[in-house]
Order: sequence, then C-alpha cells, then structure tokens
Amino acid sequence: MFRTNHRGRGFSTAVSGLLITLLACVTTLFAGSGASADTKDEKTLTIAVSQEVDSLSPFLAVRRITTAIGRLSYDFLTNYDPKTGKTIPALAESWSTSEDGLTWTYKIRDTKWTDGQPITAEDARWTFDTMMKDEAAATANGNFVENFETVSAPDPRTLVVKLKAPQATMLALDVPILPKHKWEKVTDFAKFNNDQEFPIVGSGPWIVSAYDVNNSITLTPNKDFWRGAPKFDKLVFRYIDDSDAQVEALKAGEVDFVSGLTPAQATALESADNITVNKAKGKRFQAITLNPGAKLQDGTAFGDGNKALQDPIVREALVRTIDREAIYKTAYGGFGEANGGYIPSRYADYHWQPEGDAVIGFDIAKANSLLDGAGYAKGSDGIRAKGALKLSFRFNVHGDNPQYIQAAEMMREWAKEAGIELKVEPVSEVGALLDAGTYDILTTGWSVNPDPDYILGINRCSGLPAKVGGPYLSDAYYCNPEYDKLYAAQLAELDPAKRAGIVKQMEEILYKDNVFVVWGYADQLEAFRSDTIGSMQPQPDPGGNYDSQDGYWSWWSATPAGEDSGAASGDDGGSNSGLLVGGGAVVLAALAAGLVLMRRRGGATADDRE
Amino acid sequence: MTTSASAATPRTPRQLAWTRRRRAVAKFWGDYSQNRAGLFGLAVLALFVLAALLVPWIVGEDALSVTRPAGEPLQPPSGEFWLGTDRSGRSVLDLILWGSRVSLTVGFAATFISIALGSLIGILAGHFHGWLSGLLLRITDWFLVMPTLVLAVALAAVLGRSLSTIIIAIGVTSWPTTARLVRAQTLAVEARPYIERARALGGGHWHVMTRHVLPNVMPIVLAQTTLMVAGAILTESTVAFLGLGDPTVPSWGSTIQAARDTGAVSSGMWWYILPPGIAIALVALAFTLCGRAIEGVLNPRLRSR
Repeated sequence: MFRTNHRGRGFSTAVSGLLITLLACVTTLFAGSGASADTKDEKTLTIAVSQEVDSLSPFLAVRRITTAIGRLSYDFLTNYDPKTGKTIPALAESWSTSEDGLTWTYKIRDTKWTDGQPITAEDARWTFDTMMKDEAAATANGNFVENFETVSAPDPRTLVVKLKAPQATMLALDVPILPKHKWEKVTDFAKFNNDQEFPIVGSGPWIVSAYDVNNSITLTPNKDFWRGAPKFDKLVFRYIDDSDAQVEALKAGEVDFVSGLTPAQATALESADNITVNKAKGKRFQAITLNPGAKLQDGTAFGDGNKALQDPIVREALVRTIDREAIYKTAYGGFGEANGGYIPSRYADYHWQPEGDAVIGFDIAKANSLLDGAGYAKGSDGIRAKGALKLSFRFNVHGDNPQYIQAAEMMREWAKEAGIELKVEPVSEVGALLDAGTYDILTTGWSVNPDPDYILGINRCSGLPAKVGGPYLSDAYYCNPEYDKLYAAQLAELDPAKRAGIVKQMEEILYKDNVFVVWGYADQLEAFRSDTIGSMQPQPDPGGNYDSQDGYWSWWSATPAGEDSGAASGDDGGSNSGLLVGGGAVVLAALAAGLVLMRRRGGATADDRE
Repeated sequence: MTTSASAATPRTPRQLAWTRRRRAVAKFWGDYSQNRAGLFGLAVLALFVLAALLVPWIVGEDALSVTRPAGEPLQPPSGEFWLGTDRSGRSVLDLILWGSRVSLTVGFAATFISIALGSLIGILAGHFHGWLSGLLLRITDWFLVMPTLVLAVALAAVLGRSLSTIIIAIGVTSWPTTARLVRAQTLAVEARPYIERARALGGGHWHVMTRHVLPNVMPIVLAQTTLMVAGAILTESTVAFLGLGDPTVPSWGSTIQAARDTGAVSSGMWWYILPPGIAIALVALAFTLCGRAIEGVLNPRLRSR
C-alpha cells in the first residue's frame, strides 16, 4: 500500500525541486494573461500598481496610490509647477495675505464639479471646516488645519482662512477640495470610503469611474477640466503585486507604465524595444532610526530598546560604520545618491548636507577609537560591552524591501568590525514594534514634499504618542526642544530665503543627533512604453519623475504616441538615440522618423486585433 | 566476497552475529549496486556531502562577505565566476557550495527528529494495544493533517527566523507518516511466531521492542529517511524562498529569493536564479533515487518489476 505512496511522493518531491525555481517565472507570466480589452480606437493608458487601496476617501487616504488618485480626481487650492515645483494657482486663482500673516484670502476659480454643479468657496470652507471639527476627517491631512482659527466663505468666490499663528504652508495646502453637496450627507467619515457611487463627483482632470477591488481603478477624462482635458480616453491603474510580473506585463504591452523598478530591471529594460526607462532623482530618503529610548509626550519611558543607543557616542560610532557610498553603489546598483541630509537634494532650496569636519562619515577606525574611549571593551565573542550594556542590537528591516535587506547585510558586516553586533531580522511591518517601542534599529524611508513642513513636523516632541500604542506619525522617538523651537520659527517665517535657512539648521541638528540616520536618496526608476505614450510632463523638468508627482502633470499631459506628431517624434528620437549611440547622427533622424511610422502602424494593428 | 568472514569458524554467539551482519551488508550492497539509478543518486549525494564538508577549505568564509565581494554585482558567468555573481558581487557558485551546508544540515536534522519521533511512536502504538495505541494514533492523525508549510511560517513568525526554527517546524510536522509506516510494520513483525517464542521465554516489552521489532523495522525506517530528507530540504528552500529564512545565512532557498527580489527573472539573469533551483532538484532527486533503491533491495517484490 505504502509502496505506491512512496513512489508518488518521491517523484513529486524531485519535480517540485525544479518547480520552486519555476514558480517565480510562472507567477510572472500569470499577470500577463488577464489582458484588458480595449475597444476600438480608444486610447488607454494603463499603469501598473502594487499597492492596495486603503480608501478612496481623501479624508482617509494616506497611501501613495490613493493620494495620487485623489490628486487626479479633485483639484486643490494650489498646485506645484511641473518644471520648478513652485506654487501656482489651481482652484484658487489668486490669493493675498494680511500684514501679520494671520488672514489668508483665496479667490476661487469659477468652474464646475463633474456633475455640472458650480464649485464655490463654500465647498472649500466645508472641506476645511469638517477636517477641523471631525477627527476622522482629519486622518490624512489634519496637519494642515491644526493651526486654523476659522474658515469662512463670505461670497461664492472668496475663501477666508484665519490662523492662530502664521503658517508657511498656506500655499501648499495639499488637501483635495470636496463637493459639499455630495459629502454633507455622509454621517461617519471614519467609515465612508467613497467607493459606492460611480463615477465619483470630483473636479480634477480625471474622473474615477470604476473600482474593481484589488484589480483595477479606471478613470475617464474630465472633458471640461479648466486647464484642458487629458488626451488619453481612459486611465487604468492595474493591480499587479509582483515586480517581475509588472515588468513582463510592460514588455508584453499589457501595461504602459511601471514604476519602482529594481536597478537590474532598469538596466535590462534599457535595451528592450519600444520601452523608455526614466531615472529620476529621488524624492524619498532611505534611512535607519536608532531607538534613543522610546518616550511618551509626558516623558514616560517605555519599550525595551537597548539602552546603549541612548549614548550619543555609541550612536555616532554606529553611524561611522555605515558606508553610504557602498550602499548606493551595490544595493541600488549605482542609481542613487549617498547623502546624509534629511531633505533630498532635488529640493535644492531646502536641502542641507554636512560639509568638512561636520561629516559623520564611514570610518571604522574612528568608530573603534570612539568606543574604546567611552569604555566599551570587546568581549571574548568580539562584541563590545560596558557593564550590562552590550552593543548587540536588533535590526528590524522591512522584509519586502530587497535593497534594505541588502544594505542591512552590509551594515552588519561593517558594524562587526567595530565590535557591534547587528542582528538582522526582516519583518513584514514595523508598526507594532514601533508602537510598543520594542526595537533597537529600524529601516525607514519617507517621501518628501516640495514643502518640507510635514517631514520636519513629524519629529517634534509634540508628535510623540500620548499613550503607549497611541498614534505616532514618525518612527524615531526623536525629541529635541531646540529643534521644536526652530520648527515653530520656520512655520511662522514667510520670507522663503529666511525660512530655508531655519530649515537647514533643523536638518543639521537632526544629523548631529544620529537618531534619524539618512543614507541618501535612491533614484526613482520607471519605464514606459514609448509606442503608447508619446510624451509626458516630468517633474521637475528636466530629469524628473512621472509617478507620484506633486500634481497631476504626468497623466494629465500624457499624449498617445503618434497623435501629437511634433512632441512624439521628438521624444521617440531622444529615447532611441540611447540605443543607437555610435550609429551615426545622420542616420538617426531618418531612423527616428521611420520608427515613428512603424510604431504608428504597429499600434493601429494592435488596436484592431483587440 | 565475504570469504574471510565465512571461512573463519565462528566460536561465540557474538562472532556469529557479526558474521551474519557483515554478510547481510555485503549482500545488501551487492543488490544495491545492481540499481544504476541508486548508484547515480549515491554518487550525486556523495558529491554534495563532500562539498558541504570541504567548503570552508575550498572556498573560505570570505566568499560570503557582502562588503568585500570578489566581483562586481550581477555579472554573467565568466572564467573567473563560473556561475556569475549575485547582487552583492559574490560568486553564485560559492553561494551554492555554502548553501549545500544549510540545505543538508536542515535536511538531516529535521529528518532525524522526524524519524526518531516517528519510530518511537510507531513502535509503541504497534506494540501496545488498547488505550495507549488509540491515543497515540489519534495524536498521529492530528499531526498528519497539519500542513508543514503553514506551521513553519507560523513558527518562524513566533520564534524568529533561524535555522533551528525551520528544523523544528519540519521535524514536528513530518513524523506522522513514519509513525504510521512503523506501526504497520510492527504489527506485521509481532504477528510472527518467533515473537511469541520470545515472549514465552520471558522477554518483556522492552526486550521485544528493542531486540526484535526495532531491527526488523530499521530497513523501512532507512528507506523512509532517505525519502524524507528530500522533502525536508525542499521545505527549507520554500520557507527561505518565502522570505522567512535568515537572510544572512546563504541557503539555496534564500539565494533564489534574493535573485527574485533583484528582478532576475525579468532581467534574464538565469545564472542567478537557475543554479540554486537545479541544486535543490538534484539533491532531492539523489535522495529519492537512493531511497527507492534501498526500498527495492529490501522488498523483493519490487525488484522483479
């Protein structure tokens, strides 16, 4: 009886050995099978996304995918210029502020919601007012209205905001303005996810017209958008979990845009046909936070962080063992910038970086001498200790981020040379460890807006949780009164140059304290099909990114390939020149023209087939 | 073959027993060596075991350093790196050699736990009747339906990611099959007249179980062991592939996972993702071939086919 049993199991065991390898390849292929059927001549722009939707309600949405969709479907008071990132008018045509900076008056644009109702100042007033009064409505963007005294709409075109104290972010209020006539009926904002009635009434360039949970979100153009209608007929965000599967879908033409590529994928895609790879300067920093002793707002310590990390010398020594350059060279394949400054270098106005003697750079010898001097002696196991304080730290790494894991492996080896043990433990999420304060070192990364207020604000003492497990925005348990004083000063400073000066001082303090240790900024690696997308507006321009922009520029401006002949051929020629280096400049022009023609033909037949 | 042993005139019972055993082993090997697939499996296995044992001297621990790698990251195979380099610039071949240690360690350790537990419970359940047997069988049934992978994932989450967690998880979930097999064999053995004779001569439970039942179930346990090691290695790779292994220990499963994270599939870096997979398949196949060959030797009914 068990004979047959054995044989079956034996064979299947041997075969599954190979299967484990093939699994990776197979899952990749699965994604390509669910082809989205285009109707004839309908130009669809499909974007691969891997994040699940948290909520379509702008009051609740905090994920990248959903805030991006909020950006596309609701206009904000102001927007950021795609080229420079400077504030430009959007729903507010113009604005003025009082002498003391406490009263802001916005003139609201005369335009319509997508259901034909006029947009008035009352809609904006209701949106801000609800966020001020309802805690649930303040979930996502509450930081903008914390300092609001009153909001009023004396007439349909005028919005007046009175502040408790001057606030520098009044022209960077990244809050989707919602249609009061639709939303005032909602009873519980904590539970309302805005996903029952489609199309969703909004005011942005795109209208959310369908949502298939964990599959796709479909948007249709707002033909009456005041800045001009989008040029594609449909914008689809397709959920594909696996990065390799996304790339395969891009190669197969199932999707037209993929972001978050690994360095290896970007390098390989550069030689693929009809695909353009975009390497944008990162707006995100990668970092680790060292637990300086988790504390509540009232100073009560909690958690079980290794007390040795409360010693600034230990923290400095640990930071000295990190070779930022090597991390970006190896783990990020050279696509990134090693830099200890808190605000990424792409925001030149606010970016600060240490220079000269201020640099706490890679120097293992220095780390060793620092620790020797502070009395941490190496034990028989090669790990330093002083009394009960042993320099052995748990290092919790985001398990879903391969670059973090690779960097963590490198850090483990460097730290070992200084007699510090890092126990690398990948975790699926750090939230629980952070809330309980039961960590020593965590990996982290934050996206930074053109306006630095938010990213600076998370590290205030007042941001600490009020009770254990209470809401906490940051992930460092950082608290420095000097930093807080400067935060208030920069928020009240309306002169941009002076404000930038204060912001840089804050970054310097953060850097010296070695609690929030930034490695640098990885490039944003994206790729798109150049036979579908003729041109798109990057941000900043040139050298910017298309995905997760500040504003709706890329998907609003995207032009189908071959439609806008001037822009399309120029763009295609540019992208192909990379492949044809050495092919001769004279031939290039002819080739580019030929390719554009071929592509147009190819696109047409593909459409017909579908 | 065993001329010298059989030529000598046996004097004591102990010598007699040893002569018999030596003859049995020789006969076993004679039969086994008839099976070509079995020999092939054994050769492959010997190669991997040798590699695992000698790797610290062949390659050295420096080959695993991610901060002082031998080459540039993600290089295709070349004269210097026969199987290319990984994302950190380490030789993939070196990683596989080092990985064989992890895979074989987990395979053997987990199997040992599983076989020891399975044999013990199997013999007890077969030897004793009544409530003890019933209880043991119900426990066996309960563990039989427990999915190894799910338990391994749960244990890794609770106990932290380490090799011992994986070994324990595989060990405690895979013994029921062995227990069932051993119990069946125990029942068959105990039905034979010589057991009754032993009992009649005053042999207690312990004597019967260790002296008569155990030697008779050993062959089937041996066959089961070789088959089970393959499964254990595979489970270890799967758990590591799911990202639940210790990322700082280079096992075959974690190498595949790292390759996948790097985007090796869509970037066409076959040298990074295929070799560890082939290594897993080869070792699993080798164990299976050996197991089946042993089974064939022990069970004459199988040999005739």
